[in-house]
This record gives sequence, structure tokens and C-alpha cells, in this order.
Amino acid sequence: MSRSHFSRSPRGNQDPTFTRTHSHSHSSSNPINTLGLPSPPPNGRRSSMGVEVRGMRRLEQRRNMEESHYLACNARAQNYNPPVDLRLLDYVSSYDNNLMCAICRCPFVDPVILNECDHCFCRACIRQCWNTNTTYTPLGPRGDCPTCRTPAKLGPRSATSKILVNLVDELIVQCPRKDDGCKAEVRRCEVQDHVNIYCGYTLIECTGKDCTDPVRRKDAAQSCLHYGASCLLCHKELQQWKLEAHWRSECPDRRVHCEMCKSPVFHRELEMHNKETCPAISTPCPGCSSRNKRGHAEAHAKSCTFAKLAPVLLRQQERLDEQEAAQKEMSRKLEVLEGGFTNMQGILFPSQEVENADRRSGDSNHIPYLRRSLVSPENADADAPTNDFAGFDWNFSAADVRHDGASSAETFQNGMASPPTRAAPAVPGPRPDDLPEPFSSDFDLASPPTFPPSGPYASPLHHLLSMHESLRDEMTRITSALSELDGRHSMQILNENLRTREEISYLAAQTAGLQRQMHWFTSAQLQRQQGRSPTPGASGSALGGAMMDAGAGAGVEAAVGAVSTAATALRGAARMVNVGGSASGVGMRRGTSEEGRTKL
Amino acid sequence: MAANKRIMKELGEINTNPPPGCAIRLAKEDDINLWDVTMDGPQDSPYTGGKFHIQIVLPKEYPFKPPVLTFRTKIYHPNVTNDDKGAMCLGMLRADEWKPPNKIVDVLKLVRAVLAAPQPDDAVEAGIANEFKTDRKAFDKTAQDWVKKYAK
Ligand SMILES: [Zn+2]
Ligand SMILES: [Zn+2]
Ligand SMILES: [Zn+2]
Ligand SMILES: [Zn+2]
Ligand SMILES: [Zn+2]
Ligand SMILES: [Zn+2]
Ligand SMILES: [Zn+2]
Repeated sequence: MSRSHFSRSPRGNQDPTFTRTHSHSHSSSNPINTLGLPSPPPNGRRSSMGVEVRGMRRLEQRRNMEESHYLACNARAQNYNPPVDLRLLDYVSSYDNNLMCAICRCPFVDPVILNECDHCFCRACIRQCWNTNTTYTPLGPRGDCPTCRTPAKLGPRSATSKILVNLVDELIVQCPRKDDGCKAEVRRCEVQDHVNIYCGYTLIECTGKDCTDPVRRKDAAQSCLHYGASCLLCHKELQQWKLEAHWRSECPDRRVHCEMCKSPVFHRELEMHNKETCPAISTPCPGCSSRNKRGHAEAHAKSCTFAKLAPVLLRQQERLDEQEAAQKEMSRKLEVLEGGFTNMQGILFPSQEVENADRRSGDSNHIPYLRRSLVSPENADADAPTNDFAGFDWNFSAADVRHDGASSAETFQNGMASPPTRAAPAVPGPRPDDLPEPFSSDFDLASPPTFPPSGPYASPLHHLLSMHESLRDEMTRITSALSELDGRHSMQILNENLRTREEISYLAAQTAGLQRQMHWFTSAQLQRQQGRSPTPGASGSALGGAMMDAGAGAGVEAAVGAVSTAATALRGAARMVNVGGSASGVGMRRGTSEEGRTKL
Repeated sequence: MAANKRIMKELGEINTNPPPGCAIRLAKEDDINLWDVTMDGPQDSPYTGGKFHIQIVLPKEYPFKPPVLTFRTKIYHPNVTNDDKGAMCLGMLRADEWKPPNKIVDVLKLVRAVLAAPQPDDAVEAGIANEFKTDRKAFDKTAQDWVKKYAK
């Protein structure tokens, strides 16, 4: 109804705004119907104003309709599309830093200038800062300026200069749906309208019958797209209207372009491509220090001499490392040996140590044990391998006697410098069989036939010394073992002794009991005999009884004898235990006690 | 959302134009509120030659609440707590002194300035502050030792 009315209106189609709006109203004419036409003005005015009034009325009607359509579009779009937050937009045009809010760092959105300090912020930013969205303040929102802390209050919109508002509203921004494919760039003040009314990527209600699902505005002209489909590439099941978005940003089988080499790659292979196959990524040459793009790496490898040598170099490097490690080990060993040698020197020549301490410092080839004690002149003379060596020894000793450190070192080094002498003093000390008299006997006794390693610092004296040292150790160990054994032994004896004594006292008590019994028996017997002897006419039976009594008496006598013998034996054993407790062996004493038992 | 935008913006700015001696990246790629900073010890300070790992946590309410700054590298400094947290809370980093217009760049500049010139009157470690005031040589020595030990 309304549509036909407007199409008849002469100016309706001339108005560009209306046409544009109309062209976008294809989705539905419903809101216009529900809102209907505004109520007609009072009758009296119509008659008096005539044609002019009718024109006004039409204008008003058209404006109302436009607004209602706009509102309807807005309302419908907002079901699926939240209002655009202008602070999240991407700006196409560059803007002055002075137009930037200090809080959100975007060009001001609905700027507020605080009266108290002239600082400017977005209205939303300052409200958020002052928390006015959650707390109610009766005198209107107020707080401290976020920049300078001046107490301030939020003024009305009208207080903000229009110039400032226009400056920020004119900035060109990208459509917030640019990620979905919208390429529109609009003025910031129009972006909400763009999204709500024009943007083809805004979701609106489907035009299909009985379908309320959302669809993109640009697809809404087609019939309902809410049916199942599957992606041609990855075969994922999804609704037809979602396919485009799927191909654009989701499908793992879609083609993307490598940023480095510009070649098309499947999205799911992009990572691997970037890491491994992209010809634009440079890799280091194994030989020289140059980096080459993968595409040129092979060509370079053919021309680069270093690349060909790389395996050889690698092996060389490995060997070098090995050698270095071995050398380190050797030098460590040498250090240990030198330390031991210095110790020995200190033990052997404590006095010279002090004397020569400062003189020796720089002379690493110093061999002090050659001095006086070992290398007696006649010995060296008799057995010197070369004349040079003898001379050297002579010189050395003489120099030493003179305590002329400098010359001795010099002579020594002269001697060492010439090759033949260098070989000879490899064992500078006398060989085992050349030992001087006082040492040789000792040495022969102690040393095994395979005597010392021929290192320059080994000598029989060292060997002896170490042997002596080890013997001393052995001695100490044996002594301690002995004393321990001794203690254990005496403890054992003490225990055994105690036990034996107990046994003996028990036996003694028993013997005493027996003795008492025997006594009683004998006394009873005697009484009986005494009581019977006064009777002269003894009967046969009485005689028999007497005979029996006599037999019994003899048995008793024997028993008494045995008991007393046992007692004696026991007493003897006790004496032995008492006297020889510590001296006699355990087994022997056990034997004694057993003997005692058998006697009993 | 607006906060995220601001953080993104700051991150972009700080990466194109980092403050002297600082390298900034996200600790986790998908968490924009957790920044990892590697700061070189300032010249002419006992911390020269050290590399200090600082973590910045931007609260959800950022920029309305201050970022929280912790030294992940142990440091001998009167303004940094000497525990496993290594918290630094100083000047603009305090909740009552923080202003939303402040940026992380400013924070990092402040941290570097405080490394170069400790503020013993605002200290969290009283012992270290006292040593700094009374025995500067000993303080420098310990600080350097710690740099050698922890901040290489
Ligand atoms: Zn703002
Ligand atoms: Zn202010
Ligand atoms: Zn758009
Ligand atoms: Zn549909
Ligand atoms: Zn797909
Ligand atoms: Zn590529
Ligand atoms: Zn090469």
C-alpha cells in the first residue's frame, strides 16, 4: 500500500537517499507495514493550508518512513552484529598524535574535554577509568584526570568543540569485516551505517521461507542457502552459506601464497614449506661462511671449494679436538708428577730446599738429587757412559759445592743442549747396579728385579724411601691389628673364666650335699651296729643282716672315697682356674671341667 | 577488547622502536598480556654486562591498573625483592600512582633508570639499601658478583 503510494509521488524517485535506501530494502517490507503511516494532521489545518499542507505531509511521511526503515535495518542487523566499537577499527588515513586518546591510543571516540584541566579523552575511556558504569554518583560522573590528577567532572557532549569531533569523525577507516572480505573504506562516522545497512558481509536474517538463520547480506538475494554441503577440497560437511568463509580462512586444503617465494602452497603445508622446502630461505654453506638461498645452494656447492673440502675439514677438526684432549690429559699428569717430585725434593734435602728456594725458581730442569749424596765423583768417573757426561757431573757437583747457582744452571743447560748428552742423562742418576756402597745392600734386598721406570726423575733412593714408607704403614697396621686381637682375646678369657667358676661352685655345693648324706648314712649304720653288738646270741638271720650291713658299709665307704676324690679334683680344678686363668688355653680348661664331670 | 587493541598497538610500537637495551617479545604467542623483556644492564652501573630477564604481566584491567613487573634474573638491588619473585614496585608502578596514559615503554625506561641509579629511600630491601648508602664499594662488588653469577 505504502509503496504504491510513494511510487506515484512525483519527487519520491528523485531523492537519491531514498532510492539508495529502497534498493537495500529488498529483504523485507515488513517493518514499513507494521509502523504504518503517521496519523493525519487535524482536519481544520488541512483545509486552510491546501496544497502546501499536502506537500508538507508527504515530506513528513517520507521522512518518517525512511527513519523507520533505517531503524528496522538497524534492529535486524544488530541481532547478529554487535555495535561497532570505533576504538577497534583500523585507520586508513594517518592522523595527528594530538588526536589520540591517551588511554586507548586511538583517535578520540566521542571526545570529552575536561573543563578543569583541558585534557581530552574518549567518553567511554574516561567513564571506564572512573568506573562510572558500575557506581552511581548523584552529582554526575566525576573523578581525577587520568593524566594530571586534577579533580574533574564529565561535561555534556555539547561542551566539546565541533571541530575536534569532525576531525576524528572524518578519518577513513576500514570496514570491521575486512577479514571476511569486505574491502570498503569509509569515513569513521559512517562505519556503523556501513555495517548495518550496506556491508555485504554483515549477517542478516535469511529471506527464505520459514528460515530465521543468519546469512550474509550479499547472499541474501539468492534463495535460502541453509542446506548442507561439503567442501570440494577437504570434504568437510558444512552449510552452503558458510562455504565462502571456509574457503577464505578455514579450509586446510586451500591455496595460500608463500610470503617469501610467492609460490602457491596448500595452507596445511605452509609450515613445512617455510621450514624445509621454500627456495627463498637461506641456508649456510657447510664450508665457507656464506649463506645461500635454497634455490642457489646446489649451484654454490658445486662451485665452492670449501664445500667440497667440508668432510675432510670436519674430520681434521675432530682429530684436532682429540689431540687437544689427549694433550690436556698429558699436561695434567705432568703436573701431578712435578708436584710429587717437588715433595720428594723437600723430604730429601730440606736444608737445600731453603737455601736454593729462590735460586731454583726459574730452572725447571733442576735435578737436585744428583747433588752430593748419590753422585760421588769416583762413582761417576768409574761408570760414566760418556766423557761428556762425567765432565758434566763433575762440574755440577763442583758448582754445587761452591753454591754457585748461576754457573751450575748454565753448565747443566750446556750439557743438556748437546744431543749425545741429552740421551745419556735420560737416567741421570746411577743405574741400580751402580749404586753407591751404603745403598746397594739395602736395595738388593728390597727391590724387585724390574726396577724403576726409566723416567728422568726415578732413582733407587726414591724407591727405597717409598718402600720404607709403605713398610712403616704396614707396621702400623699390624700393630693396631695385634692390639685389637689382644683385647678381644682377654675379653673372651674373662667370660669363659666366669662361667667355669660358676660351674665349680655348683659342683662343690652338690658334693657337700652328698658328703652330708654319706655322713648321715654312716652315723646311722654305726648306731645300728653299736645297738646290736651288746646282744650276745645273734641269730642266723641277724648274722645275715650283719653281713649285709657290712657289705653296705663297704659300698658306702667306697662312695665316700669317690666323693672325696671328686671334691679334691674339683678343688684342684678351681685352683688351676684361679691361678692360670689368663695363661691357660680355653680348650684345656674345658677338658678339665669335663674331667671333673666324669669323675663325679 | 579496547584494552587488547591498545596492548597490540603498544607491542607494535615497542618492537619497531624498542627502548635502549631492551628486547621485548610475548612469553606465549597467544597470550598478549604476558611480556618477556630482556634488558641489558645500563653502562656505568654495577649491572653492566648483565642480561636481565624481566616479566611483565598486564592485568585484565590494563591500562586502568598498572602492569606487574618481576625480575626473573636474580639481582642485587635495593628496589627489587631478594626472593624468588623478584618484584619491583616503584614510582609509577604503584597502584595509587599509576595513570592509564602511562605506557610500557615508560615503565621500561623507568626500570633502566632505577638500575642505573637505585633509590634506597624507596627500597624494598632495607639491608641492601643501607649498604648502598653506607658502603657503596661493597654494594657494587656484591652486585657485580651477582651479575657474574646469575645474569650472564
Ligand atoms: Zn580513548
Ligand atoms: Zn588533566
Ligand atoms: Zn563492509
Ligand atoms: Zn535460510
Ligand atoms: Zn575445505
Ligand atoms: Zn616459499
Ligand atoms: Zn660455500
